Parts: sequence; structure tokens; C-alpha cells
Amino acid sequence: MSVIAPNFKLSEFIKSLLDNAFWGLLLLVLVGVPAVFMILFFIEMPVINGELLTPFLALTWLADPSRILPVVHAFMATDIFRVMAFPGFGFAALLAAATIFVERKMLAKLQLRVGPFYCGKFEGILQLMGDGLKLISKEIIIPAKADKPIFWAAPVLFVAAAASFVAFIPVAPGWVVADVDLGLLGVFAVIGFFPIITILSAWSANSKFPFIGGIRALFQMVSFEIPLILSLLGVVMLTGSLNLSEIAASQSSFPWIVFLPIGAIVFFITMLAELERIPFDLPEAESEIVAGWLTELSGMMYGLVQLGTYLKLYAFAGLFVVLFLGGWNGPMVVPPFPAEILTDGIVMGPVTAKIPGLPLFTQEMLNGALWFVLKTVAVIFFILLPRGVFPRIRIDMLLNLGWTKLIGLAFVNIFIALGLLYAGVLGPGGLQ
Amino acid sequence: MADAVFLALTVITIGSAIAALELRSLIYGSIALMGTLGGVAGFFFLLDAPFVALFQLAVYVGSIAVLILFTVMLVKRELIFKKIEDKRRKFAGIGLMLVTMVALGAVFLDSGIKTITTDEPATDFRDIGTDFVMYYWPALILMGLILAGSVTGALVLAKREDVENDQRAN
Repeated sequence: MSVIAPNFKLSEFIKSLLDNAFWGLLLLVLVGVPAVFMILFFIEMPVINGELLTPFLALTWLADPSRILPVVHAFMATDIFRVMAFPGFGFAALLAAATIFVERKMLAKLQLRVGPFYCGKFEGILQLMGDGLKLISKEIIIPAKADKPIFWAAPVLFVAAAASFVAFIPVAPGWVVADVDLGLLGVFAVIGFFPIITILSAWSANSKFPFIGGIRALFQMVSFEIPLILSLLGVVMLTGSLNLSEIAASQSSFPWIVFLPIGAIVFFITMLAELERIPFDLPEAESEIVAGWLTELSGMMYGLVQLGTYLKLYAFAGLFVVLFLGGWNGPMVVPPFPAEILTDGIVMGPVTAKIPGLPLFTQEMLNGALWFVLKTVAVIFFILLPRGVFPRIRIDMLLNLGWTKLIGLAFVNIFIALGLLYAGVLGPGGLQ
Repeated sequence: MADAVFLALTVITIGSAIAALELRSLIYGSIALMGTLGGVAGFFFLLDAPFVALFQLAVYVGSIAVLILFTVMLVKRELIFKKIEDKRRKFAGIGLMLVTMVALGAVFLDSGIKTITTDEPATDFRDIGTDFVMYYWPALILMGLILAGSVTGALVLAKREDVENDQRAN
């Protein structure tokens, strides 16, 4: 039984919900609707197509799918939708939130624990919502001797940098926020901002543990940036493009991991280090330096940094998918939109609804997004997995790995790519 | 539109350059230096050279500014510098720099550079790469050798094992 809420009864919970709904409805009918009508009494309503636009007429129009769907279509073509909802922030934040929950639960199962259990009655499914509410409602404590402007700005900048990283990732053909010609260079530029934000946040807290964590983060990120960039050069050579959409589209028959497995392995290891994940989580080593560079952050500032971290995780996994696993390419598994709905409309007994404006998404887009999400989730799973298995390694071993082994392997990868190109296996006249 | 962006970038670049030199706090000074380097990257964007602009961001803001920031953080400046607060000298210095820049700008504008108009499209970075391989290959090979030497040197420095610690088990 639950220890946290011993007097909890599901029947009483449902009764309280129904009570609230009843009182809400009563207040709406007795106060809300008359108030709206009293306000409408003084407003001169426009006449459209010879009809006075009464609230009833407006609601009728709003409920009519043939009038609303074109509006939805037009909205989906706007930049705001792309930035806020689908390939941009909303989609990434949803995947990031799912990642947090799956990570906690999966890690618990790996270590024979239970994990989140009480929130939401079934396997702690509402734990994330509870954590979010807790973070929002907690007080934000600023250390007395902190450098306040930088300390306030750092979490926001962290989320902003992570979101701009997300903007470069193409999800389906044509569905990308920023389809720039030099997308991969933009990604390198954005990755270069994370150590700055980390070290500034760590320094501005004016406390020992954040500063030690910040210095560790700086060492780690700066030294792993070089093998990261070098390991991706092979893909750029084979594709002849820095545009991420073109790189994804170039892998329609073979993903590059078939030809460049060493580059993929090097990129995966550097990815773990850039994301500060076990076995490279020295910047937040919780058993040594409290919480590393996050020690002094509290409340929603900590929440923002966590959101940024998991957005970054999604973006790195998406980058791995786009560069090495073929992006959105995959066999067509989504069925085509039923043609009889377009010609005859939806028949429900005696009622037939003809809806122009369907389908909302093309078959290619749905299929591409499906394959991209499946591959990204698989990569995220492999990023999470070491956390249940490996211990943390020492900082000198980490730097040794980055500077000597990974850079050497990245050069080997570049020479493999050059060899494939000059031998005529790939490129003009070759396989792709 | 481009003029407004150009003016804003100019203000950001010159303003943060002055701030980088004049601010008492070294950390804020290096943040202002990042602003200057980012402003220069913005100029490259305006000049239709996004390749150079992104490398400016990645290398100068992403690496060199971090190096400066990191060095500054580990320095106790009270031990190194003696504070000489002199408002008049400070403003005289800023004024002298602005006068010099305005004079240089006037010389440039007067040299007839504004009369040059061109309809040619922006040079693609792929063409620059082709030129490097075709006509300027000695420079390319020299740069490659210098870079390879520096990378080898970095590897050698990273690999040195003269510091032994008995307490650590490898």
C-alpha cells in the first residue's frame, strides 16, 4: 500500500473530481454564460454573408471541419508551427519527457529496483508530472555572493542553445525548422556554446562544487569536440554536402554506418561525453562533488537545465540517426490514406460527412517521421543503457581517451572514407 | 533592412569591444569579447559568407573565447594588476580610438570603394575549395603540414607519462 498517501481512496478521488466538475458547470451556467451575454449585448456584431454573426453561428462555424481544416492546413505551413510544435520544440520536449521517465524506470529494472511507483496508480506513470509541478512550485534560491545576471541567464541560455540544436535536425522529408545549406557547421557552432554556458553558470554560483564540476565539464567538452568534428568529416566527404536534409536523403539505399562503422563508434562515444552521461558524467558526479555544476541551481532553474540536457540528448540522437542510420529512410509501412474518404466522405449510418482538406499529412511524411522516431528511440536506448552497467571513469583516463585514442580512430575513419571515394566504391559511378 | 542590421551589428561589435577593454571585471570583459567576435561573425553573414561566419562562431566564440574565459577564471587579478583609476585617461583612450576609427573609415569611404557595384553572385565555398586544390595547392599543403605538426605536438603533450603517482592503479 501507498505510504505517501495512506488515506487515499480511489472512490473518494473520483467523487471529488465529479464534485469539482458539478460546481464548475453550475457556476458556468449561472454566472459565466449570463456574463458573456451581457458583454455581447453591448458589442456590435458584424454581418457576414448577410447573416448576423451571433455566438451560435460562430460556434457552428468553428465546429464545421470543412471550414476549420483549411485553417489548420495553413497554420501547419507556418514557421511558428514548425518552431513550436512538430519538428521543433514541442516534439523534442515530448520525446525528452518520455526519455526521462523511461530512463528512471528502465534503470530501476536493470538494477532490480522498483523505480517510480506511487504517482498515478500504475507504475508511477504520473511521476514526471509530479516532478515538474514540484520544480515549478519550489523557491528559487540564489546564493548570496553569486554573480546574479550570469546566474539567472545561464539556465535560459542552456535551453536556448539546446533548442537551436534541435532546430537543425530534419525529421521527415521537408520537415525541418532550419533547412540551411551549412547545417552541420551550424551544429558544430551550437555545440561550441555549451561549454561556455556551463563554465559561466558554474563560476557565477561562487561555490566550490559547481566550479570543480564546471572545470571538469569544460575539459571534457572541449577535448571531445575535436574527435566529434573529425568523426563526422567522413560522412561529409562521402555525401559532398553539409546540409543535413541532403545527407539524410543520400542514404536511401545504404546508411553510412555500413561503410563508416569506426566513425559511428567514435561519434557515439564523443556523444556520451558531450552529454555528460555515465561513464563520462564527471561534471555532475553526485558521489564526489554533490551535483557538480548543478549544485546551486534550484527550483525551475534546475528544471530548465534538465529540460535542456534532455533536449540535447534527443538532438544528438537525432544527429546520429541523420548522419549514420539513414534518417527518415525506411520501407513504406504507413498505409495510404483511404481514397473513398476523399471521394465519398465519411459515412456513419445515415450521415455522410464530406470533408475537404484531408489528409493533413502525406504518406511519405508520416512514414519518414515514424522511421526517424523509431531509430532515434533506439539510439536513445543505447545512450541510456551504459548508465545501468558502467562505473564512472577518472578524468585523466577520460582525457587520455579523447586526445589519443578517439582522434586517431577519427583519422582512420577519414582515410577509410577517402579510400572508398577514390577506389570508386562510392560517389560518382559507385554504389550511391 | 540590411542597413539596420549592419548598424546594429556595428554598435554591438564596437560597443562590446570597448567594454572588453574597459570593464573592471575580467569575466564580463571576456563575455564582451565574445560579443565582439560574434558581431564579426554577423558581418560575415551579411557579406554572404556563411561558411566563414559559422567557422568564426565555432572557432573564435566556441574555442578561443572559452580558452580566455577559462584562463581568466583561474587568475586572481588583485595579485597581478595594480588598480590605477583615472577616469580622464580612460575616456581619452576611448575617444582617441573612436577618432582613429572614424578617420580610417573616412579614408576608406573617400577612396572610391562606394562606387564599386557588382552583380556577381556570392562565391560558393565549394569554388574556394576547388581553387585551393587546383591553384593554391602549395599553401594548402603547407597549412596541412603545420596543422599536422600541431596535432602531433598536442598528442605528444597529452601522452607524456613522466608524472607518476603510486597511489593510482592503472
